[in-house]
Amino acid sequence: MLMFKLAWRNLFRNVRRTILTCLLISSSLVVLILVDGLVLGMVDVMVGGITKTLEGEAQVNHRDFRTNLEPEYFIEDPVGVINIIETDNEVAGYAPRVIIGGMVASSYNTTGGLIYGVDAERELEVSRIKDALIEGEYLSGGERELLMGKPMVDLLEIELGDRVVLTAAAVDTNEIAQELFRLTGVLEFGPEEIDKTYIFINLKKAQSLLGMQGHVHQIALQFNDPEISRKPDLPLFQTLTDDEVEALGWLDLQPSIGAMIEMSSFSTMIVGLVLFLLTSLGVINSMFMSIYERIYEFGVSKAIGTTPFQITQLVLIEALLLALLSCTFGLLMAYLIGDYFSENGIPMGKMEVSGIVVDGNMYTRLATYQFIHFPIYVTLLTLTAALYPALYASKIVPTQALQRAL
Amino acid sequence: MTNVIETKNLLRKFGSDETEIIALNKVSVEIEKGEFTAIIGPSGSGKTTLLHLIGGLDEPDDGSVFLSGANIAEMSGNELSDFRRDHIGFIFQAYNLIPVLSAQENIEYIMLLQGVPAAERKSRVGDMLNLVGLEGLGDRRPAHLSGGQQQRVAVARAMASQPDIILADEPTANLDSKTGIALLDVMRELNEKQNMTFVFSTHDQKIMDRATRLIHLEDGAIEKDERK
Repeated sequence: MLMFKLAWRNLFRNVRRTILTCLLISSSLVVLILVDGLVLGMVDVMVGGITKTLEGEAQVNHRDFRTNLEPEYFIEDPVGVINIIETDNEVAGYAPRVIIGGMVASSYNTTGGLIYGVDAERELEVSRIKDALIEGEYLSGGERELLMGKPMVDLLEIELGDRVVLTAAAVDTNEIAQELFRLTGVLEFGPEEIDKTYIFINLKKAQSLLGMQGHVHQIALQFNDPEISRKPDLPLFQTLTDDEVEALGWLDLQPSIGAMIEMSSFSTMIVGLVLFLLTSLGVINSMFMSIYERIYEFGVSKAIGTTPFQITQLVLIEALLLALLSCTFGLLMAYLIGDYFSENGIPMGKMEVSGIVVDGNMYTRLATYQFIHFPIYVTLLTLTAALYPALYASKIVPTQALQRAL
Repeated sequence: MTNVIETKNLLRKFGSDETEIIALNKVSVEIEKGEFTAIIGPSGSGKTTLLHLIGGLDEPDDGSVFLSGANIAEMSGNELSDFRRDHIGFIFQAYNLIPVLSAQENIEYIMLLQGVPAAERKSRVGDMLNLVGLEGLGDRRPAHLSGGQQQRVAVARAMASQPDIILADEPTANLDSKTGIALLDVMRELNEKQNMTFVFSTHDQKIMDRATRLIHLEDGAIEKDERK
């Protein structure tokens, strides 16, 4: 106990130095937690950008459909699939879709696009088509309703209510099918890829246009807990997957995003290592200054019988108390700052990362592990950094220390 | 009488080649239990070096030191630390108290290292403070004690561990005459009552007057050894 008392009091011999070292250690902890919180926030935005915009957290597709989007690879028995989905309590919503490449022509221009036949009501639970609407009305089930992105509207030189003609190959006859639609809404999702290419019409109309009544190409899903969609062995996926269809979570649907998340963790690790290196140097410097000031005292302590181990122990207890003090302050600051930015966000402007648009603020996400693991790392780091000064102190030769002081 | 300290042909050099100085040259001395010995001599005669070698704070280039029959050269670093802790009390010229601990904590510190139980530590601290005349000042830190009071705490600390030998290096050098005499009287009393062995390195006539034995050092060698 006296060792702890001694170590604690030693810390406050030079209050300014202790405060500065504490600030250095706690700042590293704060930065580490905030960087990780920002990375988590960024990942949330990226994952949300994929899963909430259109793709869903999981999809059921014909096994060969995703490879080449050939319209004949549709789900033969969507009712059976939907029956299974509807009985699963984890599923928050699902949306069946018909997807086919085609041409869209106005009186002035023609362009290629990806036609999505969607169930307007069900899409509200799965995608942000309605949220992306910047002009006009959302789909209401009408025969001629059509939505498309602003860049495509500009290319076709059309306005709300103007006529456009969709042309695609019918699945049943393989003949060209054409139909007249009117532009009822203009969309802006953000990613150019979607805004320049995607066209949305009602599901039933798409099925009749393409001669695939009762069939769909894709069923997109959202879960109550988005985390479970990361599990490749989710029971629902296993139940739905057979020789014809496959059910996959977004990580399997977008492996590049998984790689990007891993890279984000790696970058956090690099930031952590750099911070740890700088902090270590600061701690070593501070501990050495503290030891040099007390060389005579260590010499006397050793002379009266303090063993080298006890000297090492004393310096390490000082480092431990310094780390605990710094972590307490650091955790408090990290919580306050992190909580503020998780509520208010950091203004980032509009930017697109790998086809995902981050618009407005970047929010931090604080997680429990940041407040348990990181302080442990920082404490271990401080102790490791203090080990060298501690061993140095333990090796002080009493006679040399006493002579130096005299 | 039993020898508590015995040195055999102690040789200690500092520097090398042209700058080499022989601080102690083949010094052999035997000190019996209960002696109140002063090592005297001019500056640079090797007094402090001899005291440091006796206390195991320094290593001789040749020769050996036996304390209570044990050859300290054969002890490992930790064994030597433990030996010093349990058998030797040190008093230095510059008080050398731990500034962040109070007077009683300074006295308690060495007993804590010895593993003395808390109740006994407290009791011994009280006794020591009474013995050196610092009753009621135990809570004060060194900065709030006078030089004489600090040196009394240092004496109390040296004795608290109940050592066989107390080695004191110029203990009165920084004290005024009156305080020095009072402190020496305390040590002499302890020597007489508890048969504790004291070895001083000093220039101070007051210590020489009270010493029962004077070892004169000159240029690293014993010039005269007289018992009163």
